[in-house]
This record gives sequence, C-alpha cells and structure tokens, in this order.
Amino acid sequence: MNLLDIRNLSIELIGQKHDILAVDRVSLTMKEGEVRGLVGESGSGKSLLAQAIIGVLDESRWRVHADRFHWRGQDLLRLPIEERKAIISKDVAMIFQEPIACLDPTTTIGEQLEEAVPESMLYGFFWQKRQQRKKAVIKLLHRVGIKQHTMCINSYPHQLTEALCQRVMIAIALARRPILLIADEPTAAMESTNQGQIFRLLASLNQLKNMSILLISHDLENVTHWTHTITVMYSGQFVEAGTTKQIFTKPYHPYTQALLDSSPKANMHLPAKARLMTLPGSIPILQHLPIGCRLGPRCPRAQKQCVNAPKVKNYHGHQVSCHFSLKDLY
Amino acid sequence: MLLFFVRRLSLFLFTMLLLTWFAFSLAHLFPGDPLINLTGQVNANPEQLIALGQQYHTEDHMIFQYFSYLEHIISGDLGLSMASQLPIASELANLLPATIELSIVALAIAMITGVPIGFVAAIYHKRKVDDVILTFSMIGYSIPIFWLGLLAVLIFSIELGWLPSAGQLSLIYEIDHVTGFLIIDILLSDNTYKWQAFADATAHIILPACVVALAPATIFIRLARTTMLEILETSYIKAAKAKGLSFRQIIYRHAVRNAMIQVVRHVGLQFASLMTLAMVTEVIFSWPGIGRWLIDSIYQRDYTAIQNGLLVLSIFIFIVHIITDLTYAGLNPLARERSYGS
Ligand SMILES: Nc1ncnc2c1ncn2[C@@H]1O[C@H](COP(=O)(O)OP(=O)(O)OP(=O)(O)O)[C@@H](O)[C@H]1O
Ligand code: SF4
Ligand SMILES: [Mg+2]
Repeated sequence: MNLLDIRNLSIELIGQKHDILAVDRVSLTMKEGEVRGLVGESGSGKSLLAQAIIGVLDESRWRVHADRFHWRGQDLLRLPIEERKAIISKDVAMIFQEPIACLDPTTTIGEQLEEAVPESMLYGFFWQKRQQRKKAVIKLLHRVGIKQHTMCINSYPHQLTEALCQRVMIAIALARRPILLIADEPTAAMESTNQGQIFRLLASLNQLKNMSILLISHDLENVTHWTHTITVMYSGQFVEAGTTKQIFTKPYHPYTQALLDSSPKANMHLPAKARLMTLPGSIPILQHLPIGCRLGPRCPRAQKQCVNAPKVKNYHGHQVSCHFSLKDLY
Repeated sequence: MLLFFVRRLSLFLFTMLLLTWFAFSLAHLFPGDPLINLTGQVNANPEQLIALGQQYHTEDHMIFQYFSYLEHIISGDLGLSMASQLPIASELANLLPATIELSIVALAIAMITGVPIGFVAAIYHKRKVDDVILTFSMIGYSIPIFWLGLLAVLIFSIELGWLPSAGQLSLIYEIDHVTGFLIIDILLSDNTYKWQAFADATAHIILPACVVALAPATIFIRLARTTMLEILETSYIKAAKAKGLSFRQIIYRHAVRNAMIQVVRHVGLQFASLMTLAMVTEVIFSWPGIGRWLIDSIYQRDYTAIQNGLLVLSIFIFIVHIITDLTYAGLNPLARERSYGS
C-alpha cells in the first residue's frame, strides 16, 4: 500500500485578473520507508507542491485541487479540512527552505523545540509534563547530533550557524515522530562537509526509524546518492518519475537528459574543458507560461504536437510525460 | 548591549549640543538684546546688565558665550520669564509634569485600544471586520482635534454631565506638591480624602486624554495591522503551522510578540506628535500644563520662555525616544547585538 498517493494535483495562484496555474496536474506517490527525490530547476514549483501537501498554503492566495489524495489508504479529500489537517500534521513533518527564517527570531530555540513536542506524548500533571518536555528536547537535540544542548537551548536563532539551525529544524520535525518527512532543500547554501552530515543524518533516520523522506532539491546529481526514487518537475509540470537507477541511466524525458548532461559527474568521459550540454534559455516565469508542454520553447525534440500537454505514460513504473520520449533510443 | 548603550549616549550628547546651540541662536535671532532674551532680565538696571554680561561673556567670541550659556543651563538656570519674572526652571517644574501625565495616559489609552484592534484587523484581513476597522481609523484620524475636544466637552460635560470639562482636580481637594505628577502625589499623600481625590483626578483626566489619544490610536491601529500582516506572512509562522500549533497558539506565542516589538519601535516617534496634540488640548480643557504656558508666552513675546521651554520639551521628547529604543533593544534579541547607531 502506498503511503502517499497524489494524482493530478494542481495549484493556482489567485490573481486579480485571472488565475495562474503554478503547478499543473502533478502526481506523486511515496511508499513506506522510501526516500524520494523531488528535483527541478529553481522556480519549478517544488516548494509549492510540498506546502500544498502539508496544507500551509495561504487559502486566500492559492487554490489547490487534486483528483486523488490518499494518505495510508485513507481518502483525505473526503474529509473536512480540519480533520485532514489534523491527520497530516500528526504524521507528516516538513523542514522548510532557509532554516533561519523558519525560526521565530524572538523566541529561544529551547522554547520552540518544547512547543513542537506534542501533548499526546506527555502524561501526568503539568509540572511533570514540563519536565518531560525538557527531557524530550534534549533527547531530540542529541538525536540530530547536537551535543552542546544547553548552549543551543538558550540561544536565539541568529546566534546559531545555518547548519545548526537546519539540525534544529530537523529536531523540531522529528518531535512528532513523523512517518513522512518532507525536506525542502535541506542543504542549500551549506558547505559540502555540512551537506554530507545532514544527508547522512537523514539517511540514518530513514534506515533506523523507517521514516519516509521526500527530499527536494534543484540539483539532480546531489541527491541521487541518497534516494531510492526520483520525481522530476519542470515549471510546475510533471516530467518523469522512476527509480534512481532508471532516471540516472535511462532518462526518458529530454529535460531529465539535459539535467544529467549538464552535471559534471555524470559526464566523466568528456574531454577536459569541453562544453557541458545545457538547454538554451531559462525557466519561464509564472506570468508567461507556454501552452501545452512547458518545456516546448527550450526542448530540442519539440514538434508541433507539443502545444498539447502530453499524457503521462507508464513503462514498468517508469513514468514519463512527453510526446517524443527517448525510450526508443535505448 | 553595552555598546548599544554607549552609542545611544553619544547620540544623546551630540543631539543635546545641537539643541542647545539652536536655543542659543534663537536668542540672537529674536528681536531685542540677545543678553536680555537669554536671561529674561527685562527690568535690570545698567549695572546689573554689565554684571550679567560678564557672566555670559558677551564681550567674548560666540563660542565662549555659548559655553557660558551651557554652563547656566546645566546648573539649572534657565533665566526668568519676561512676562512674570519668575524663574523658568521652577515654572517648568510646575507645569511640565501635568503635560507629561496627560501624554502618558493618552499614550496608554492609544496603545491599549489601538494595538489590539490593529491585530484583530490583520487577523481578519480581507473580511468585513478589517474593512470596518480601517474605515473608522481613517475617519478618526481625520477629525480635527480642536473640534473633537469641544464636541467632547459639549456631550460628556454639558449635556450628559458625566465628566468635568476643565482643570486637573477639583479645588476642594488640597494635595501637597511632591513630584509634580498629580496622580502620584495623591497616592503619596496621607489625606483622609485620598481616594476621593484620586477618583476626581481620574475623572478629570479621562476626557482630555481620550481626545488626545484618538489620532495616535488610529495610527497605532494601522501600524499594528501592517506589522501583523507582515509577520503572518513570514516563514516562521508557516513553519509554526507545520509544527501542528493551532492558530491561537501561533498568534499568542509568536505573532503578537514579534509584532509588539515592531510597534514599540515606533512609540518614540508617535510620542512627539502626541505631545503636540496634548498641548493643543490643554487649551481647550484648561489643563495646567506647559502647552497653555507656551502659547501664552508666544502671545506675550516672552522670548526667554519660548526658547528655554522648547529646549526642555525637546530634551524630554528625546529622552522618551531613547527609552523606547532601549525597550525595543531589550525586547528584541536581534537588536541587542546588532551594532548600529541610528
Ligand atoms: N508567495 C508567492 N507569490 C507569488 N508567486 C510565488 C509565491 N511563491 C512561489 N511563487 C512562484 O511559484 C513558482 C514556484 O515556486 P517554488 O517556490 O515552488 O519554486 P521551487 O521549485 O521551490 O524553487 P526554488 O528552488 O527556488 O525553491 C515560482 O515561479 C515562484 O515565482
Ligand atoms: S512533449 Fe514535446 S516539448 Fe515537451 S518534452 Fe516532450 S518533446 Fe519536448
Ligand atoms: Mg523552493
């Protein structure tokens, strides 16, 4: 049974004149204990999708619609909003992009951690609960590899480094013992040693606690080492999904191909100083989205037919959304 | 924090220099003999004037004159009022506390009503409540204070007879002058009618304080509203939502605190305009404060009083600025360490 099964999720930005389809019918499935990478260029709607899943998008500005939204076999779309939120916030945790901005600057780390410990994990009278909260916080900090817990508890966010803040964010996310952790660019703007530490921490959580992780990144190459499966997005549209191996060795979609070609590690055989292959142009802005397949203007294989959005085709679990996929080349 | 304090102190000293220099130059810009303008000794005979001139170094360079003027100010000698021939320092000591009292009560009213209403408006953003609050705050802001004061007297004192319309305290109570702040003096005194006097003083201050508070309250409403809206958009509020906190918890634990800090930052600025409003209102309500005294001084061309009264008033407003800055720094962990001196 799938842990999370989302079919054709769309997110519209409500505008004054007309609405803009920022995320266009993206599907996403997650199995229990799976680490899935969600990859796409900056601005492809990865963060929007993640925020829509946990339901923190501002309802007055965004409209979210999905054909199917199952969580552990339960159809969340049939439930009233409050119940849906309760279920999601119990089992799904998210660490946002830019950890420092996600911590309240005027509250100590300790307090912010304490309030993340759910009431249901405590018992006894309120003074006993306070003690338990304090203990739980220290344990959480140890779990994410922060040893100087007293220093950390009494600090304000701006007094900590970016990497420490990210660990604190992970600790906050872990407080509810989530089944699924959504990590939105957890290592952006970090040195590579710190990046490795964070990834290893996430990997160990996945292995020891069987926690599923949705790992969001703009860098395909960066996450392949840590993921079982990968979903690629471009400009709010679904591109391709499959196991990491499928995506890495036999990409079916021209965009995934281009992503791989532009990464130096996957092109070890290239002669020194040769040009890396990249797609011309850049990702379209929300106000000027092309019709049909949004990759069209940049795509080397584009033809007339591409003004109609392609349907998702499934080849043994390797899904691709393209009229002229590269499948036949292999 | 220490660095922060030192920076503020140096800023304070520098501003004091500028302010005193300005007051000093006023004495030269006003018509008449600068020495008489500075000291207010209109009835002095020639010998006295010569002695005074020596004290103030009138024969020496401007800089020496300025420093001797500074010396007098620092020792508490602000000259005599040209009109009443009383020392200005003692007049100010009598009058300024009444104005400060009125302003502080008005500020409290403005903040206690304005800030929560602003927060409510932000929480109900884009709904009826928000629109209604915004409309009323626009109307409240545009009402001229003189008209409002007269209207308040007409309704609450004359028609309804609920509240007194003039003065600070009924003449039947006699309170010893200790600090100059009437309410504090009443509480300090041990008269048998202490609590009646307190009630009477409270009744007297309500009407003028509310009149003064109206415009600043509308400013606080809009200030609190925009700040709260900004805070509700921040990532840490979103993250708090994702943590599973309820809307209530998010507002009370995170949003209000952060918004309050930003509001406190603007109190100093608002206080200056509030003092001006208070001085105008004093005239309507015959409040024995510095406002009426200053306006009278202007009518009587009492240059010494104008110049030194303004000086003391600006010093006071500047001190309030510094106090709010320090409060802001005390509340905001970020500002405590950031080393800016603005
Ligand atoms: N609050 C917002 N208001 C208007 N447009 C927004 C807002 N948030 C995101 N967008 C737009 O939605 C699109 C997708 O944004 P999103 O943040 O999901 O991208 P992303 O894939 O997470 O990129 P990044 O790698 O930069 O985080 C972008 O074009 C962005 O400009
Ligand atoms: S559908 Fe057409 S434009 Fe889109 S990726 Fe495939 S070939 Fe390119
Ligand atoms: Mg993002």
